[in-house]
Amino acid sequence: MALVVKNLWVKQGTLNLPGRTVPFWGFASSQGAPPTLPGPTIEAVTGDAVYVVLRNNAIPQRVSVMFPGQRNVWVMGRPWGAKKASPRYEGGRMISLTDYLEPGRATSITYTFEATRPGVFLYESGTNPENQVQMGLYGVIIVRPPGYNVPSDPNYKTAYGAGTGTRFDIEKTMVIGELDSLMHEALAQGAGYNILDYSPDYWVINGRSYPDTLRSNYDPQMPSQPLGSSVAVRTGRRLLLRVVNAGFQNHTFHLGGLVGRVVAGDGYPFTSPARDTSYRKTVTTLGSGQSFDIIVTPEYPGGFYLRDRDYNHVVNGDVFPGGMMTRVDVTS
Amino acid sequence: MPTVNLWAKDGYLSTPDGNSIYFWGFAPRPDGPAQIPGPHIVVRQGEPVTVNLVNTLASEPVSILFTGQSNVMAGGSPARPQYGPGGELVSFTNHAEPNGGMVSYSFTPTHPGTFLYESGTSPHKQALMGLHGALIVRPSDYDLAAPAYKTAYGFGTDTEFDREYVLITCEIDPDLHRAVERGEPYRISRFKPRYWTLNGRCAPDTMFPDNAPYLPCQPYGAMIMARPGEKVLLRYIGAGVENHPLHPHGQHTRVVAQDGRLLRNGPVDCSYKRFTVLVGAGQTYDQIYQWFGLGYTPENRIPTVLPNIRNLGVGEAGWTMWSGSPYLGLKGDIPVGVTSFNEAGEYYFMLHSHEEPQITNWGEFPGGMMTMIGIYPSLSPDVGTLAMG
Repeated sequence: MALVVKNLWVKQGTLNLPGRTVPFWGFASSQGAPPTLPGPTIEAVTGDAVYVVLRNNAIPQRVSVMFPGQRNVWVMGRPWGAKKASPRYEGGRMISLTDYLEPGRATSITYTFEATRPGVFLYESGTNPENQVQMGLYGVIIVRPPGYNVPSDPNYKTAYGAGTGTRFDIEKTMVIGELDSLMHEALAQGAGYNILDYSPDYWVINGRSYPDTLRSNYDPQMPSQPLGSSVAVRTGRRLLLRVVNAGFQNHTFHLGGLVGRVVAGDGYPFTSPARDTSYRKTVTTLGSGQSFDIIVTPEYPGGFYLRDRDYNHVVNGDVFPGGMMTRVDVTS
Repeated sequence: MPTVNLWAKDGYLSTPDGNSIYFWGFAPRPDGPAQIPGPHIVVRQGEPVTVNLVNTLASEPVSILFTGQSNVMAGGSPARPQYGPGGELVSFTNHAEPNGGMVSYSFTPTHPGTFLYESGTSPHKQALMGLHGALIVRPSDYDLAAPAYKTAYGFGTDTEFDREYVLITCEIDPDLHRAVERGEPYRISRFKPRYWTLNGRCAPDTMFPDNAPYLPCQPYGAMIMARPGEKVLLRYIGAGVENHPLHPHGQHTRVVAQDGRLLRNGPVDCSYKRFTVLVGAGQTYDQIYQWFGLGYTPENRIPTVLPNIRNLGVGEAGWTMWSGSPYLGLKGDIPVGVTSFNEAGEYYFMLHSHEEPQITNWGEFPGGMMTMIGIYPSLSPDVGTLAMG
């Protein structure tokens, strides 16, 4: 039972999207680091105590972090010590879905929970979420079963432990979503934005639009979008795709001609030692905020374009190819 | 070895409100009209299939993706994404060049089921313009004459059926279609569908028969017909870019397979019942639908008390699908001035998108993604069949 401490600094940053840059708000892992989209990944093992320390001296708004899928989230802070995280009200009106940090103060708020079950989960802003989540204040939590990294352990290289049909060779997390660049411009300048005008024009995997999705991790030209999503895999290997929809739209994830087995949804495995209810799919719709773990075992070589089957989202500025698309290269 | 020849062509489809809309579709003959959806391809598991595509469009290449099939070959080599001179992606698979180019695909279906075939070139335009269709793979042990082997997924998979119907959903934005027709910029960001189709037709055309001569480019009807208790295999396919919650009135369906893969793991039956099935873009859903009636049995032929005929709304529109009798197979009196479209004392139930703006034609109800299920006292075995080929 280890202690996992993650610092999240809310910052203003710039995204490199095809043809232009777009301002965003993101989480950075330290005071000196750039904010990233998605935010820093929080990794833990079942049983770990996770502490998330949130700081903000960048945007003039209250900010908070929610942990959908985690239970018993506590908040530590002055003057009240530790208490259960809960919605906040002001004058009888809800102002935040969870405890928040006031803007403009050199202080922090600390959330803590025990990672009770394996899975892939979102964390995201719970304050003005219709603005802040779209602006980029989200990331993923990956909780692993104990022994996941011990070769002799039955849980070794499984997403959900032995007997769940989730053993994998390669793992790739793909956080999908969409951006409305006009909304980003407006909010970054402190102007208002009517969410009813929400009209996204960029569709992303791990914060990047195709063809940038194919660039390597930590590409120096994309300091705030450190994660690529292309995958190289050999036939017969088990590729675990952890697809998380952080956007406001539903997206339909097409496996590019590969057939996958959906082994978990929203962090719940579909298989127990008693019963296997996993299912095969070539295309899967993810609702806003949902996640699926899909294992693909390629049988033959080729180049497979994983993409949004909502084909109006595989464009950049109305031109195909672009948007929510990446590639899996299979060799024998 | 089955060989299917398809010609990518342009044409004009009709909508019930009198619109005529430019589209691209696949034609089964060089001298035949383009059709939306393309011809149903019905083949057998384990038997090699060849699909030859000739692209008669003048403006751009066209290709066909067979999602769910493995080891698809194009011109004798493994099918591969195609790139332009600058290395930019043009097609997800080998394509036929415009103005008569040709490509030949071949594959051997390893799994029975329902699949979507669609263009893999500029799919934001071509899939919506109509370049898509249904691929049906029969199980290797399929036998029309033996009920236990007339199945969607093979003997012993609990997918026996008496009749089968394919329903392909799509959306039409007439402004985008017109932009393609005129060679104007295609701005998918302005996508705003006005028509929602089942098998390329809007209601009430959905209820007209297959190959209706006045719908030359939309040959497939979407009327579901069966007798009480018969097992009806409904094959839903989402060909557009939106999701559509399809919903038959009065009875659940049992989803037995998705994307052409049986919902079963060894002995574990993972099929499930739904009142409404959200037909996701690019996805397929095979269901068994059985109508047993609301308490209907041969002993209890009328399980409810009907209001007086004068209190029914049958006369309002001047026509009705009510027979005048509550008894299946019987006809009764209809108020003067009302036309009954009821043929044989059958029952009608609606099947429609539960996103109800979509059961209009450009905002006018009724229309769009809607059809009827007719429960007949007797019905020819030829109704609700799909021929191989």
